[in-house]
Amino acid sequence: MVRHVIRKAAGWLLMIAVATNATYFLASWLLDPRSNYRELRPVRSEEQIDRALAPYNLDPREPLVHRWWDWFTSVTLHFDWGKSPTGVSVNGEVGYRALVSAELVILATVLSVVIGVALGVYTAARQYGWADRISQAVSVVVFNIPASVAALVVVFVAIWLNQHAGMHFLYVAGENSPDVEGLLPTIGDRLLHLIPPTASLTLMGYVGYHLTQRSLLLDTLGADFVRTAQATGLTRAQAIRRHALRTALIPTAASVAFSVPAVFTGAVITETVFGWNGMGRYFVQTIGKNDVHGAVATAAFAAALTAVGAILADIATVFLDPRVRVS
Amino acid sequence: MTLATPQLDPASHEGARPVLSVRDLRVTFPSEAGPVQAVRGVGFDLMPGRTLCVVGESGSGKSATAMGIMGLLPPSAGLSGRVLLEGQDLVGLDDRALSRIRGRSIGMVFQDPLSALTPIYSVGRLLSDALRVHQDLTRRAAWEQAVQLLDLVGIPDPRGRAAAFPHEFSGGMRQRVVIALAIANRPAVLVADEPTTALDVTVQAQILDVLRLAQRETGAGLVLITHDLGVVAGHADDVAVMYAGRFVEHADVTELFRRPAMPYTARLLAAVPTVDGGTRRPLVPIGGEPPALVDLPGGCPFAPRCAVALDACRTAEPELRQVPGHGEVACLRATEIADGSLDPKRDAAPVEPRSPEGRAAAGEVVLRVEDLVKTFPITKGAVLKRRIGTLHAVGGVGFELRAGETLALVGESGSGKTTTLLEILRLARPEGGRIEIAGTDVGTLDSAAAVRRLRRDVQIVMQDPLGALDPRMPVFHSLAEPLRAIGRDRAAVRTRVGELLALVGLDAAIGDRFPAALSGGQRQRVGIARALATEPKLLALDEPLSALDVSVQAGVINLLTRLKRELGLAYLVVAHDLAVVRYVSDRIAVMYLGHIVETGDTEAIFADPRHPYTRALLSAIPIPDPGRERTRERVVLTGEPPNAARPPEGCVFVDRCPLYREAGEELKRRCRTERPAQTAVPGSPGHRYACHAV
Repeated sequence: MVRHVIRKAAGWLLMIAVATNATYFLASWLLDPRSNYRELRPVRSEEQIDRALAPYNLDPREPLVHRWWDWFTSVTLHFDWGKSPTGVSVNGEVGYRALVSAELVILATVLSVVIGVALGVYTAARQYGWADRISQAVSVVVFNIPASVAALVVVFVAIWLNQHAGMHFLYVAGENSPDVEGLLPTIGDRLLHLIPPTASLTLMGYVGYHLTQRSLLLDTLGADFVRTAQATGLTRAQAIRRHALRTALIPTAASVAFSVPAVFTGAVITETVFGWNGMGRYFVQTIGKNDVHGAVATAAFAAALTAVGAILADIATVFLDPRVRVS
Repeated sequence: MTLATPQLDPASHEGARPVLSVRDLRVTFPSEAGPVQAVRGVGFDLMPGRTLCVVGESGSGKSATAMGIMGLLPPSAGLSGRVLLEGQDLVGLDDRALSRIRGRSIGMVFQDPLSALTPIYSVGRLLSDALRVHQDLTRRAAWEQAVQLLDLVGIPDPRGRAAAFPHEFSGGMRQRVVIALAIANRPAVLVADEPTTALDVTVQAQILDVLRLAQRETGAGLVLITHDLGVVAGHADDVAVMYAGRFVEHADVTELFRRPAMPYTARLLAAVPTVDGGTRRPLVPIGGEPPALVDLPGGCPFAPRCAVALDACRTAEPELRQVPGHGEVACLRATEIADGSLDPKRDAAPVEPRSPEGRAAAGEVVLRVEDLVKTFPITKGAVLKRRIGTLHAVGGVGFELRAGETLALVGESGSGKTTTLLEILRLARPEGGRIEIAGTDVGTLDSAAAVRRLRRDVQIVMQDPLGALDPRMPVFHSLAEPLRAIGRDRAAVRTRVGELLALVGLDAAIGDRFPAALSGGQRQRVGIARALATEPKLLALDEPLSALDVSVQAGVINLLTRLKRELGLAYLVVAHDLAVVRYVSDRIAVMYLGHIVETGDTEAIFADPRHPYTRALLSAIPIPDPGRERTRERVVLTGEPPNAARPPEGCVFVDRCPLYREAGEELKRRCRTERPAQTAVPGSPGHRYACHAV
């Protein structure tokens, strides 16, 4: 089992490397860092602009392969992701933002899976009961709400709650308060800031798990082997838990990995609405500013998140499906 | 209800009390058309160690009866009556109370072993879980018992195989595991719901033996549900015949087969194709369809299909009553039938015998296959696929088929018969060998248009008529589609569809219906009509009758025979059921592991089978006659077909061959190393077999 996971992880590492390098070439072709200087006054010549970009390894006169090799060696040897066209270090920008975003994306994914799957299981066991019908109606409505609208709704609900509770405990802007000091207050403050955007992302994410898990479980509920399990003396609830549910969870576990990019894109909007300085917003900024190195670092971050999700999904699959261990 | 069950051996359990008593069992399912009364008052007593066979066609309520006894009906179903298991009434118990009884006092064997085992647990884990539900055992002790159980049901190397997962076992081996699960806690009653229907006939014989062994080991009473009257003849002590949710006849097995007293039973027995005897006796279709179980009209439900029904039969439903010397029968005329003064089969037309001229009139060669080879690569690895072996599905098959002739490819699953059929239908150059259809070598077809033209000449009828028809298309559209595909205009399509429906004996009104609203027999007729739409020369039939009930089967056999005569078609039939094949085919080719081991005229094969595999296949088919079925000598094949990835170097049948085991050293060496050539049988033209030892 450990070997299986290590092999999978190695595969993902390779995938990240390929994806990131491919992004580097794409970004270099499509983004033009010189445009950042064209707007400046006094007007500079192309020569001057290129010279200004040269220290940041963005000089278009340099062949692309050379620039790539410089970038590649500095990433692999020094973990230095380069500089923006205006000379700001990407590492400095990304370091803090990555932490903030990972916190948001991972928490939202975990909550989406837990809530969605639990709801799917609960309603599948009560197919066509009132709980099933209501939750399904709610999920379908939520499914059709755009992320920005959902985020705004969460903002309004948070403000309304604050007003009714008579105190300011849910924060709808920023990822922390500037004037908090000490370890415990900092953690508490961060958690309170985390609640509204996480709620908004979870709202967008859980629906898929609810609806697919429900139909997956309904498929296996009627399976012959559940009946066999009952015939050996299990109650229906036991048979569902031990035989149907475990089988029905396997496809869900595999799909979690590939939902991470979707959550990440959702986070772009959520971060904007809640005023978070996360990777999502940074991604939009880098593209707007023709920041090749920043955009590539963001892509690498997204790939890494996907890989983390995929490896977790692999571990879960191995845990759920012992057949994987054998083959 | 006191039933003096006539017994074969009354001394063995004198004074014994029934382990299972069912009284007035009723099961209803809700449906859009109203409640379906699947079971309408079933009752019986089961003595320890005895076997009650419940026999009936699909929809007769046999499985619902089994599920009702087990308490495994879906929650929406309604259940009433009494199910007394060792004196305790199971009806009305809640799930928790029932779960303490299921598996401990009553065990169940299911129909489809491929889906009956949870795929994610090893069989040892499944068995030890089943043991630990009812017994306070340590993990290790339960595992030990599980290994013993696997040994009991005949799994080779039980200790090693206990850790294997269900997908690593063949269908027959999985059914052994299911039986082991059912008997794990030595229940007093075993319920087996069509335990061998999904299995090959040679494996069926093995599984029935295991079931009998399990019954003997545990001393359990067995309720065996089946549609196969041959299985009933071989295994039952008592037989209950179900029709429209009720027992219509319940008698001792020898009595029932000697002289069935209910017209339905009599007609059912007459409609069963058999392999025994020197000549074929004609099949008699029952005609009509079983009634829908929603809002049953008054009267005997069989009356509309009955040849000897009286007016009284249509007004009130007859009760099950004692007929002297014959158990219980629900028929007003049972006494007359039982004493032989009335023939319940009168006026029923037998399937018309094949005209002897049929063979002589055989026309030009429609299909010629020479040395056909098909292999599949076995690959490993997810991203970079490596070829680690070759599956030899078909290895050098050759035959000829003329217009007006039927050739049946027969063999167990995995013998390559369906692959052969699909290779022919592919209309592309085969991997090896030659295929010639209606004079055209398919290897020379160079354009898509040429393939499409040839496609008109070759059509297929599928095994499962429901799966083969688009459920969202009315029959008319299903039939019109192939016609539109070949560019017929609207008016021509309309007239042709009408013709087609008439041709297969269906009413024109059926055109507006959806497949779901048709019966099994009607669906298969639609499937045949669709295949005939483009006026093909060759019809490939993939198990055309195996999804149909016995009473309907005979009618479809009849239809196929008539169509062949009228339209001069050539049929290539793939089937596993030799009994049915006997009634539809002129010639038979027996396949084993991708090779034809014997071929010849149908009657020649049945009268004088030469190859040991053909003999074993014929011998494995149970005969619906208790006297002969229990006394005849059988050639029992051990084991299962070997892996087609590593076929034996010499004769493909060598691993399971009964003759090989008795052969001398020199012959053994030849069997192992040398592929036997086709040998002609003297005095029987066209009859050839491939065996060194015969």
